[in-house]
Amino acid sequence: MNAPLYSRREMLARAGGGFGMLAFASMLEAASNPFAPKVPMQVGGKAKSIIWIFTNGGPSQVDTWDYKPELAKRDGQTLEGFDPKTGFFPGSVGGLMKSPFEFKQYGESGTWCSDLFPKTAMHVDKMSFIHSCWTGSNNHSPALFMINTGTTRMGYPCVGSWVTYGLGSESDSLPSFVVMTDPLNRGLPKGSASNWGSGFLPSVFQGTWLKPSGAPIDNLAVPASLTPQRQRAQLDLLAKLNRNALHGSAIESELNARIESFELAYRMQTAAPDAFEVKNEPKHIQKMYGLNEKHCGHFAAQCLTARRMVERGVRFIQLYSGGMENQQSWDGHKDILGNHRGFANESDQPVAALISDLEQRGLLDQTLIVWGGEFGRLPIAQKGDKPGRDHNPHAFTVWMCGGGVKGGYHHGESDEIGFKAAIDKVSVHDLHATILAAAGLDHEQLTFKFQGLDQRLTGVENPKVVKQVFA
Amino acid sequence: MRYFEAMTRGLFVSILFFTTSLLAAPAKVKFNRDVRPILSDKCFFCHGPDPKKREADLRLDMRDEALAAKAFVPDKAEMSELIQRIVTTDEDDHMPPAKSKLGDLTAAEIAILKQWIDEGAEYEAHWSFIPLKPEATKDQSIDKIVSAGLAERGLKLQPEATPETLIRRISFDLTGLPPTPEEVTGFVTEHQFDPVSSIDHLVTRLLASPHYGERMAVDWLDMARYADSYGFQVDREREVWPWRDWVVKAFNDNLPYDKFVTWQLAGDLLPNATDEQILATAFNRLHQQENEGGSVEEEYRVEYIADRVQTVATAFLGLTFECSRCHDHKYDPITQKDYYGLFSMLQNIDEAGLYSFFTPSPPTPAMMLMDQPAKDKMAALKAKVADLEKPKSSLPPDLSRGELAHFTFDELKGNKLTDSLHPPPAPQPKQETKSKDAKKDKAPPDPAAVLKGENKLVSGKIGNAIQFTGDDAVDTPLGNFQRHEPFSISLWMQTPDVKDRAVVFHRSQAWTDAASRGYELLIEEGKLKWSLIHFWPGNAISIRTKENIPLKQWLQVIVTYDGSSRADGLKIFLDGKQAAVEVIKDNLTKTIAGGGHDNISLGERMRDRGFKGGLIDDFRVFGRDVTQETNADLQKARAELYAFQDAQKELMVMKELPQPKKAYVLTRGEYDKRGEEVGPQTPAVLSPFPKGAPKNRLGYAQWLTAPEHPLMARVTVNRLWQSLFGRGLVKTTEDFGSQGERPLYPELLDYLAMKFIQSGWDVKSLVKEIVTSQVYRQRSIADAKTMADDSDNQWLARGPHFRLPAEMIRDNALAASGLIKLAMGGPPVHSYEMTEAFKPVNPGGGDAVYRRSIYSNWRRTSPPPAMVAFDAPRRAVCISRRERTDSPLQALILLNGVQYVEAARVLGEKLYLEAKGDLPKMIELGFLRCLSRKPDAKEVQICTQLYQEQLAHFKAQPKEAEKLLKTGNAKRDASIPPAEASAAAVLAQTLLNHDACIVKR
Repeated sequence: MNAPLYSRREMLARAGGGFGMLAFASMLEAASNPFAPKVPMQVGGKAKSIIWIFTNGGPSQVDTWDYKPELAKRDGQTLEGFDPKTGFFPGSVGGLMKSPFEFKQYGESGTWCSDLFPKTAMHVDKMSFIHSCWTGSNNHSPALFMINTGTTRMGYPCVGSWVTYGLGSESDSLPSFVVMTDPLNRGLPKGSASNWGSGFLPSVFQGTWLKPSGAPIDNLAVPASLTPQRQRAQLDLLAKLNRNALHGSAIESELNARIESFELAYRMQTAAPDAFEVKNEPKHIQKMYGLNEKHCGHFAAQCLTARRMVERGVRFIQLYSGGMENQQSWDGHKDILGNHRGFANESDQPVAALISDLEQRGLLDQTLIVWGGEFGRLPIAQKGDKPGRDHNPHAFTVWMCGGGVKGGYHHGESDEIGFKAAIDKVSVHDLHATILAAAGLDHEQLTFKFQGLDQRLTGVENPKVVKQVFA
Repeated sequence: MRYFEAMTRGLFVSILFFTTSLLAAPAKVKFNRDVRPILSDKCFFCHGPDPKKREADLRLDMRDEALAAKAFVPDKAEMSELIQRIVTTDEDDHMPPAKSKLGDLTAAEIAILKQWIDEGAEYEAHWSFIPLKPEATKDQSIDKIVSAGLAERGLKLQPEATPETLIRRISFDLTGLPPTPEEVTGFVTEHQFDPVSSIDHLVTRLLASPHYGERMAVDWLDMARYADSYGFQVDREREVWPWRDWVVKAFNDNLPYDKFVTWQLAGDLLPNATDEQILATAFNRLHQQENEGGSVEEEYRVEYIADRVQTVATAFLGLTFECSRCHDHKYDPITQKDYYGLFSMLQNIDEAGLYSFFTPSPPTPAMMLMDQPAKDKMAALKAKVADLEKPKSSLPPDLSRGELAHFTFDELKGNKLTDSLHPPPAPQPKQETKSKDAKKDKAPPDPAAVLKGENKLVSGKIGNAIQFTGDDAVDTPLGNFQRHEPFSISLWMQTPDVKDRAVVFHRSQAWTDAASRGYELLIEEGKLKWSLIHFWPGNAISIRTKENIPLKQWLQVIVTYDGSSRADGLKIFLDGKQAAVEVIKDNLTKTIAGGGHDNISLGERMRDRGFKGGLIDDFRVFGRDVTQETNADLQKARAELYAFQDAQKELMVMKELPQPKKAYVLTRGEYDKRGEEVGPQTPAVLSPFPKGAPKNRLGYAQWLTAPEHPLMARVTVNRLWQSLFGRGLVKTTEDFGSQGERPLYPELLDYLAMKFIQSGWDVKSLVKEIVTSQVYRQRSIADAKTMADDSDNQWLARGPHFRLPAEMIRDNALAASGLIKLAMGGPPVHSYEMTEAFKPVNPGGGDAVYRRSIYSNWRRTSPPPAMVAFDAPRRAVCISRRERTDSPLQALILLNGVQYVEAARVLGEKLYLEAKGDLPKMIELGFLRCLSRKPDAKEVQICTQLYQEQLAHFKAQPKEAEKLLKTGNAKRDASIPPAEASAAAVLAQTLLNHDACIVKR
């Protein structure tokens, strides 16, 4: 045997082990000692994977998880001092409007939930709720960029890119960061791919968008005529050819890395389609998710795919509930009752099943589920035939589950009508710092040099990890 | 002083924790090489150039200041506080403090600092700020410098690469294309006889190739953040490709680099600037632009200029100026005032912070792109107009003729306000059948104006008047005037207060959302402003009354336009008297029509400020200039001239305003937090601004290109080195400051930089010098230890090798297959990959999918994924260094992407036909085309096996063969049996994926 020609760092840098290794290599390159742990585990959870159920369009906190009896008492009253430009339609400002949904208590924690999520609510004792989130924009695109990338402008790396940059991947045959969007032709979140771009981080860290129809990954399909077996034969001979030219030379290991990247690509061709084959799941699992139910089958398939990806070592999965804006997503400007009922119906059973399923497989402890959107909605009505609610950047609720997060815990409060975050306010940067912490990443240490600065997801304003959510 | 006292509280640590003798300390410490990096990393953040972050009043980046604060005692490391504070274990005194998270210094670093102090603690200016010396080129060469450096390590240059490798390497580096098999054979033969002159011939030939310019341009497009769309969320497409073609041409013409830079920065300011020089300035306008409704115009204008600052600083200074947008630089001597000093020079154009949503015109300032015949025709049309224009004869307004509409606002019917000249048509008898066509054709237009929202009728000047809410308009049905048509409007109005801005009436779709296209009467700062606009602010005529208009009293206003497209063709009459006005804008060269909303509206406009509380009465529209007799011939001549002007394409460029805009330090970089006013300035640490140079972009270009400038030439040659070697002599091509990498061969960088200046900034000669050097011509493989110790080839102990950049990967496959279409220039094209892009676009037909990658349509929100996968940047901001990653997505593209499968298929056919089906011959031809060399016996054997296996399969599965042969647009050659064609395709694909095909070796 020859002595290793390249250091491990070099091997990794040359792409040896695929996506994850690449991520790892980039991380090592930045550190002075290649093997020094760059990201010390200090605080937080034990999530190895993160599933973000992104309720696109901005669900209403007071109609979902933030119970406000006071709002019901003041139903119809004018909200004094309200700035009509808080929302997006200053001309449609109505009075305070009580939630059209019934609330009741669930679990030992006695968590109040609306009747939108009867199944998901069964899991409240495994969830931590943050009721005091707020953001900086009342407009979809900037708010989406903010919640995904930490800035309201497009072109910055998103949370998923940062996490995979920091942790790499445990999959040798699948992308480490995938994004699934609405499969019912209702569009994409505004700003589309900029929400899962890698910005100034290397492009290997961008989210792989799984196309909702057709082949989910570009170029994954072997050309019509080249069956995998024959591509296998071709690759074997290609490797032989490559080795023949450079055998025994000092770049053989570099070459091995290149060959391996072809091998990984080859594996992806079989592994990725397999990960999407939710129909291979046993009947009782399909039933649990509601895979064959008309009202929720599409979202069930995505949740089930998410679980299969977690099992296969995918690091970050973002799953958009809803399409673009207005009635295509949780953006309930009109008819908050019908709008939210619809999207809750699509997602309640699949999300509840996802939690149960991860739990029964012993994966919930190492998988963080985040549920939330880009902002909240106003406690006042947006006037119309069927009243809706307009955008509200001042308060929204996010819940987390699994990955070492405490159960039945409620952090922070909005004011008594759910208009503005009031107690223990949590900024988007705080939220990001907390998500990173859940994966064992210190947001202050997770940096990338760009434009002369050590850039980080959470900016320079010293955001705080919400440590209380961790058990 | 306080600092010293504070320090003496600490323990006096006099013990050395280790012996320096154990460490390989350099013979004599050099400040820049050894000390500055330590101070920069560990100390400057709190004790550096930024006064706001400075702790204990101590700065260590300047010797005098450090000495004054008694940070160290020269020659006496043991007695120096600096050392004591680093080695002490007292947590309160220890440096860097734990909370800084900077980490402790290593033993080796401490040893260096001690030795430095013991040797006198001498400082050097930061290496890249020291001016170049003419001696740098004396008796020197690339090979001498590198050989000497290698000798110190006991190494020497590798032998020259094989001629087959060399021609492939040089061809890619100079043209971005592989050599043809014939070129390879020719070169190899010539090389046998005369290696030196064969290389000289090769390089000379390639430098003269038009594809040289295309290859060089790609790097510059990254710097210039070139894209075929505006970027940000809306990301509409824009036509800026004439600038891209200019870059290609400039490289091919070997435009001296100082001119290349000067024209792009300030071509418009050159005496008698040519069209080409002005076109080059589009460089400054290629940043992203916004048009999303409701965005703050000034916020984005500031962002644009910040982008220009960053681009100029990265491209020409190699400094991270952007760090100084919010505060003085923490590591480099760049103040926040320096930042806004450059900002002040880059903002003096008549631009808006938003481009128009409703009209497609390029943002101003823009130049018309005209060839000579077009210019001649334009001159002739202008001369004709000038001939017909008579000296002005202004008459008092005559409102008795030419009236088109008259709204008295006396009576409201429903929401209708009658035009007294055109009473409403008699009610139509109810139609029995309601067909769509009947409705469209027969319903006569309603001449009445429409009152909207809460606007109301109140007692007015004559009968009733409208009182406006400011949020609602009154819409008239007419007023879509063209700019050759004289017209006038008369009204009575009354404003309740001094309006900062209010729309009295307008014909336009919107304010910034439509660049105000149309015409408008506004109150601005209490004065009346009358304007005709193509694109505000750069393409418009506008006048404003010198005096404020009276408050709370009726005022008769008549505004007129004579059809001349000049500000002196606009007039304002107040109570019958012509008002004294100042000219605000006087440059209208394009249409005022279009954008939608083709009628006059009163009192309100989309996303603008309305005439809140204002009154308007007796609104009359005239189809003539009421102060002049109409000249039909003149109007016709103008119509012709304007139509011709409107038809010319425009490109956004720089056009200096006569009066520079005021610039301010912006607190925290925020557009609305203006601080101290600043004028043009450059960092004090760099060479002085040339005496007598104008304090504008042109002077700035002169400053950059003066031989004394320490950075410009160094930064430029370093980027070229990066382009050829895959790594700059300074790896951080974007940062030559103290946080950037210090070059291992500073003499080489200085040699190349000085040589470049001495050659008259001759780029081709610089390229030639590098690629003919032995250092470049070395084989790219060294011994295993050297390669492991120096993985990115900083030592230059071997020739360059790296995976080809995105554009070359694709162009190579196209060239090897013969599919490539080498037509140059023109509008961008859609390649196959675009169908895979996020927003699917159909690939272009015909040659489009076979054009070189530089011509692929570059849309910022969805650039070609196959390019991005190979690390092409998105071109949102200036990028001087691409990442280089290897990922399986790349392998998937190469194996399965339509572009590559098609290329393999066509190459397979070509091999089959050329070899007439003779397999060994096919394999040899394939090797020559894809690897630029012949195969050895083993390789022939492997390829034979591959081909035979595939052939057997395709013979058994003819349907599969048929499918494979349908990939891509290119027609298959039916003369080849499908199984053979398919097997040949697989053979070709294998070769196209060979390491030597996608890696430059």
